Parts: sequence; structure tokens; C-alpha cells
Amino acid sequence: MTALREAERQSRLLGALLAAGPAADALAADLRERDHRLQRGLGAYRANAAGIAERALAAAYPTVQALVGAEDFAVLARALWRAAPPPRGDLAQWGHDLPAFIEAERDFDPWSYLGDCARLDAAVQRCESAADAELQRETLALLAERAPESLRLRFVPSLQLLASDWPIATLHAAHQERDELADDAFAPVREALAAGHGESVVVARAGWRAQVTTLDPPSHAWMQALHDGRSVAGALAAAGDDFDFNAWLVRALQQGWLWKAEPIEESLEENPS
Amino acid sequence: MNSPASGDGIDVGIGLRQPHYRDWAERRPALGFVEVHSENFFADGGAALAVLAGVRETHAVSLHGVGLALGSAVGIDDWHLERLARLVDRVEPARVSDHACFARAPLPGSTTVVHGADLLPIAFTPASLDILCANVQRVQERLRRPLLVENLSAYLSFDDADAMAEPEFLAALTRRTGCGLLLDVNNLVVNAINAQRADASAGEPVAAACAFVDALPAAAIGEIHLAGYCDTGELVIDDHGSRVHEPVWAVYRHAVQRLGRVPTLIEWDTDVPALEVLLDEAQRAAAVQREASPRQAAA
Repeated sequence: MTALREAERQSRLLGALLAAGPAADALAADLRERDHRLQRGLGAYRANAAGIAERALAAAYPTVQALVGAEDFAVLARALWRAAPPPRGDLAQWGHDLPAFIEAERDFDPWSYLGDCARLDAAVQRCESAADAELQRETLALLAERAPESLRLRFVPSLQLLASDWPIATLHAAHQERDELADDAFAPVREALAAGHGESVVVARAGWRAQVTTLDPPSHAWMQALHDGRSVAGALAAAGDDFDFNAWLVRALQQGWLWKAEPIEESLEENPS
Repeated sequence: MNSPASGDGIDVGIGLRQPHYRDWAERRPALGFVEVHSENFFADGGAALAVLAGVRETHAVSLHGVGLALGSAVGIDDWHLERLARLVDRVEPARVSDHACFARAPLPGSTTVVHGADLLPIAFTPASLDILCANVQRVQERLRRPLLVENLSAYLSFDDADAMAEPEFLAALTRRTGCGLLLDVNNLVVNAINAQRADASAGEPVAAACAFVDALPAAAIGEIHLAGYCDTGELVIDDHGSRVHEPVWAVYRHAVQRLGRVPTLIEWDTDVPALEVLLDEAQRAAAVQREASPRQAAA
């Protein structure tokens, strides 16, 4: 018996568990169990995997689950598990393919906004698990000392930005768990979908929980440019003439979006993790 | 911090899961230790790590992994090991453990390694032992501390002419790597019941599980796990979703008589009940330690 054979039969067993059908003959030759006992053993592991897939994906994508319903979501989770199995032993690293997977599924064509709703759920997850960081207040003095061409503003690592052709913030808000559902909680969703306008959002922590806030187009353009590493001058150009920097700065400080200001020529690749 | 579940050499803990975070923070129950799943704290930051830092202020923590896949022939995932090492540095745990299982492998016809997210059985062969020893040694060298390796419950088994008995396999692992063992009594009983149902000559389950305990190197056992199982009629499943069953308590009593007051965990991972239920189970485990190993009371 060699290490190579161990590797081959581990591969065959894992492949059989991720497949939907009965065990292949090659697998049956590897194992002590036969016939009914073999299928029963495979069934025990497959049932466990299905439960893990459903729970893990539901934890990461609660809005998508609320939109499609628990039953269809469970089917979706099992399909994704087979099509794109976990790459790592940390299940938080699994399911990143869901937005694209949804958009490739013909069954979800009537719900064109579902992929972006999944992207927003994923942004919430990233926000809540990102490195903790607080404003380095003393660096804000650079705003008065440095030319905007040689200055960059950095956001806290938890901050996420997303732009969509769909009203994702309205959809997200209408599908959060709450004790009591208002009489017509979904009226804003119907109105936003009927109006046909998209929404841009910033996802940032309020305490430990992520909060989704809509942004007007100039503010989103400004923040996206900063997020991409552009200078204050470059980001102002991207934001356009309608952007009010002073009002935005007050809001950013109140919401805890900013991490620090830094001179561009001296900046180092640095993360607080 | 003496209580029915700690003090006087009694060392019983519970698995702290997300539904209990609020209740835990308010009560801070007196326990010997708290166990958490390592992978749930691999994030760079956020609420879970803050909760764990708070727990660590008052309790010893046992980090129990479910994803290292120590028996995988393809080896250990570098990313996973580095995340675990970072967490160990942050938490300074009392113990670090994972399972004698595989989960990582390339799918047939592919070179991309995937993870089955389960505790899949390994063969008890010399080749499989070589793989497990190499992976355990790599983890121990990176963490700079010994690991505890847990015995599995398994619903499939590899068919080998040169297979070793499982206790002999685990004993060889401890001799070659210096690792310890995490004895999951529930897994022993689940395997023993399923073995008897498959083959009546396999022996009475409690007696078979006690014989397994007796065949292990006593000094290597650093922690014991107790949990509930689910009996589907055909198969008993180790689901950690109910109170500890009586056959498991019987084997635990035998284990404590042989091994002494080994730190013992009440594990509950599905259909998690109120914190009170876990504390009640912890008190029962502490009572078994007092009754079955009274000579250590003054230690």
C-alpha cells in the first residue's frame, strides 16, 4: 500500500460524495461496505454536506434566501456545492461564486436583480469580518498641509462599496429579519423596481453590525475613486462639480468611514490586520 | 472559580456557539474551560473575535478545529495553517485539536484541490499513518506546540488487508509525533452500535467502546468529548444535537476510572438548546469525575 494509492482512493471517495448518483465500481472496490450499506454510508455523508451547504450559504446570503424562499434556496445551495465545492476548510471562504452562479441559472432569469442582491449580502459579510481599525485622527491635519494631488484618503478595511442597476438597498432593507412586518413592507420595493433606477451603496459598520446606506452618484464616484487608490485631486475630478466635499467629510467622520489620510509618495502598503 | 463543573481537579467545559454569546456574556458561568471551533474565528476582525477575547479574560479556551484534514494525502492547506497559527497567537489556548480524518483531495481527473467540509474516514494502514504523522508534525512545528488528534465516527471504511486496529494506529501516531489524543467517547459508541448492527458478532457496544479506551495509551489522552447522537433506525449518526446518551455516560465513567480527571467537553452543534441545558450536562460530567475518580479530589 503506497501513499499514491491513499491519495487516489481519497480522491475517488470525495468525488463520489460530491456526485449526485450512485457510487462508481472503482469506489466500491476501495471500501468494506457493499450494496445497501455502501449507499447508506454515502447517504449519511451527503446529507451532512447538504445541511452544511444550506446553513453556510444562508448565513452568508440571508437576503437571497428571503427572496427565493427556503426551499428553493436549499436546492440552490446543494447545486452550488456540487458545481463549486469548498476550496478550504473554512466555510466562510465558500460561496463567493453565488452571484455569478445565480446569473448563469436560467431559472432565476425573471429575478434579474438577484445577482446584485447576492453581491450586497457578500459585501455585508466582508464588512463584518474585516480587520478592525479606527480613525487615525492626527493624520487629518494633512488635509490642510498637503496638495490634493499628493494626498490620499484611506477607508477603514470594513468599508465596502457597490453600485447596481437595481434598487439593491431597498430590496435589502425590505428583506431583513424583524419582529413585525409592516402592513405593506414591500411597497418601497415595488415602487423602486417600477421606477427602474439603480442604487449605489456604502456598507460600513455601526458597532459590529454592517449598515447599508445609499449614496448619491457624485459621492459614490468620489468614494470609489478613493477606494481604488486615486489621489484626493483625482477623486474630486471623478466626483464632478456637484460633489460637496465638506458635507461628505462631516458624514464620513460621523459614520466612521475614514481610517487615515496619507501622503502619496510616502504611503506604504499597510493593512491593520 | 469553583463550581459543580470546575475546581478540585474537576475540569469540564462546554462548546460556546453563537446562539449563546449574549447569555454567556451576562452569566459568565464557572467552568473549567470553553471550547470553540477554530475556523469560526479565522476572520481578520469583527464581533466573533471580540467575543472570544472577552471569553479569554475569564476562561481557558480549547481551540477545536474541523478543517485541517490531518489525514489528507495531498497535505495541509498553507492558508488554513497560517490562520490557525495567527489565532493560536491571539488566544493562547489551553489546547489545540483536530481530527484523524481526510477532507482535502483533488477530484478525479482534476488537479484542483477541494475540501469536503466533513470528517471523512482514513485507512488504518502504515501508508495512511505516514501521511497523518507528516501532517501532524508539520502543524506542530508551525504552532510550536503539541496537537490533540481526535478519533472519528465513520459510516464508511477502507478495505485493507494490511490494516491496523484503530487504537494501535492512534498509539503509533502519538509515539511517532509526540501529539496527544482527544478521545471522543460519543464517536466510539456510535461506531460500536453501527458495527453491531452490521455484524452481530462485533460485540456489545458499551463493552466494545470500553475495550477501545483500554487499548489507548492513557498518558496521551488530553481531552474527552461527550455529545448526543441521532438513531435513524438503520444507522446511528454523530450529530451533536441532543443530550448525552446513557451508553456514552457508561463508557465515560469507565474512561474516567482508567484515565482520571481528563478535561471533558460537552459538545452540542445542531439544534443548540439554552445555555442552561449545556451547563446541566457539564454538571453531570463533573459528577462522574467526582464519583469515578475520587482519589484525585485532594490533588
